[in-house]
Amino acid sequence: MTSGHKTIDWPFLRSVDKRMLTGVAGGIGERLGIHPIYVRAAFLSAMLAGGVGLIAYVLASLIVPEAKGPPESHSATTRQKIGIGAMFLAGMLLFQGIGLWFGPATWPIVLVLFGLAIAIDTSGFNYEQSLEGVVGSSRRPWWLVLGGLAMMIAGLAFVLTSLDGLQSVGALVIATILTLVGFVIVGGPWFWSLIEDLGTERRARIRSEERAEMAAHLHDSVLQSLALIQRTEDPKKMVTLARAQERDLRAWLYNPEAADEQTLRGALGAAATRVEEAHDVPVTVVVVGDDELPPAAQKALVGAATETMMNAAQHSGAAKVSVFAEATGDDVEVFITDQGCGFDPENVEADRKGITESIRGRMSRNGGTVTIDSSSGVGTEVHLTMPGGTL
Amino acid sequence: MTSVYLVDDHSLFLTGVRAELSDEFDVLGVSGDVDGAIDEIRAHKPDVVLVDVHMPGGGGVAVVTSISETNPGIRFLALSVSDAPEDVIAMIRAGCRGYVTKSISPSELADAIRRVDSGDAVFSPSLAGFVLEAFSKAVPIEEDPELDQLTPREKEVLRQIARGYQYKQVARRLDISTKTVETHVSAVLRKLQLSNRHELARWASDRRIV
Repeated sequence: MTSGHKTIDWPFLRSVDKRMLTGVAGGIGERLGIHPIYVRAAFLSAMLAGGVGLIAYVLASLIVPEAKGPPESHSATTRQKIGIGAMFLAGMLLFQGIGLWFGPATWPIVLVLFGLAIAIDTSGFNYEQSLEGVVGSSRRPWWLVLGGLAMMIAGLAFVLTSLDGLQSVGALVIATILTLVGFVIVGGPWFWSLIEDLGTERRARIRSEERAEMAAHLHDSVLQSLALIQRTEDPKKMVTLARAQERDLRAWLYNPEAADEQTLRGALGAAATRVEEAHDVPVTVVVVGDDELPPAAQKALVGAATETMMNAAQHSGAAKVSVFAEATGDDVEVFITDQGCGFDPENVEADRKGITESIRGRMSRNGGTVTIDSSSGVGTEVHLTMPGGTL
Repeated sequence: MTSVYLVDDHSLFLTGVRAELSDEFDVLGVSGDVDGAIDEIRAHKPDVVLVDVHMPGGGGVAVVTSISETNPGIRFLALSVSDAPEDVIAMIRAGCRGYVTKSISPSELADAIRRVDSGDAVFSPSLAGFVLEAFSKAVPIEEDPELDQLTPREKEVLRQIARGYQYKQVARRLDISTKTVETHVSAVLRKLQLSNRHELARWASDRRIV
């Protein structure tokens, strides 16, 4: 051997994908080709035999390595299964023979355990798949389930008679609890699958409702805009339609609050869309923060900003208008910038002076200020400031 | 001539951008899927890669991350229809030098590519706004102040960009050189990539990029 590793050919490896505790039972089950539930029942039975099962399980968990990959799956033939069962019985009888035994209740308990194993196995409950909620209905005949249940109940009856206490109320309570536990274990998987199915159905319904809502929204917005664009001859108009639709869809997809015109963000976005529609000039809006202004102050600020945007779009000749609002400090500031022809604020025509005054008026009535920075040929920037929280 | 490679799964958009750029740039190739793009970029070694955010097979983040490991010299510019903060932050933190939305005009896109090629960062007005927003909230004191806060000058530069000014105009308005504007913007990009600010970290971890 060239490699330093010692390779032992283990009779079985601890299962990785069929484990409840450490995968010992799963591994043995995989090796023998029987359902691990029977191996688990056998371990529990052997545990009653003076703790042999426990010792064997712990030792196996510590010594036997984990399987690296999924095992080759095979299923034992009926003859093999009978053989395995006979060996188990022989082992138990051997324990009893050498005195590793604790009492008359042991055999009935073994009966209960295997009855339970048969019932659970045949009810189709699959530990490996239970996480995904995939629970098949009876893959094996119903008489096996009933047989397992009968075995279990018979075993329980034996346990209780052997306890010598059937007359006492305590024993009755124990019997009731044991029976209930048995039914929960047997019926649980089926009930669980029912709940899972209901959940899946509900999720599917919610999904289809969401889809319907989305379809309705797209129909009212995107499809209408696309239809309009196809009927439009003017390229500028097309761009405006596309931009307005883009803004709307973006708000709907990424930023639901932007669609709410109560907020500064939403109100400025809506104003920008109106300006674009009126003058076919793109208006980009960037908003940082969204502090609450008193409604009157916000209305004045948005009104003044809209007026300024309209002005810029109409008179500056700029290819686009930029709006930047910042509401992170004490004041809310809005900058409306264009890189158009510019003008001299001291020397404007009468009609434009009126508009400028209406912007100033709106702001000053609510405690705000307006600064206009414009130079001919470079562009214009209007700076609106509204004090926040003080009014 | 700067060589460019385009990665986008929308063939119509790819064709359009390729036509726009082919006069000024040497378009080495285009690809519509993540794995194909990674192989081709490694083979062609373009100067700048334009990369879309949402693509099947890991998206733009997968392309940027794998190429940056093997070819750190290749620069990336994210180009997307989305301006959702988590997309922006995912691409920037993966290593993009800039992020522009697809509605950008052809001349602005060409300008952005040249800027990325020369090692600068490209901030669109909306990206500048997003960064200001992300860095505006108060941070717990134990975090790294060097990375988790913007200097007043950096903030002022970002505000100017958010107002729609080009770098040259920002320089004139703040009475600094264009080089200084570029330095500030690159510093902000670095903070965006490395900061532990919890908003950024959260967005990043949502996208499993850190």
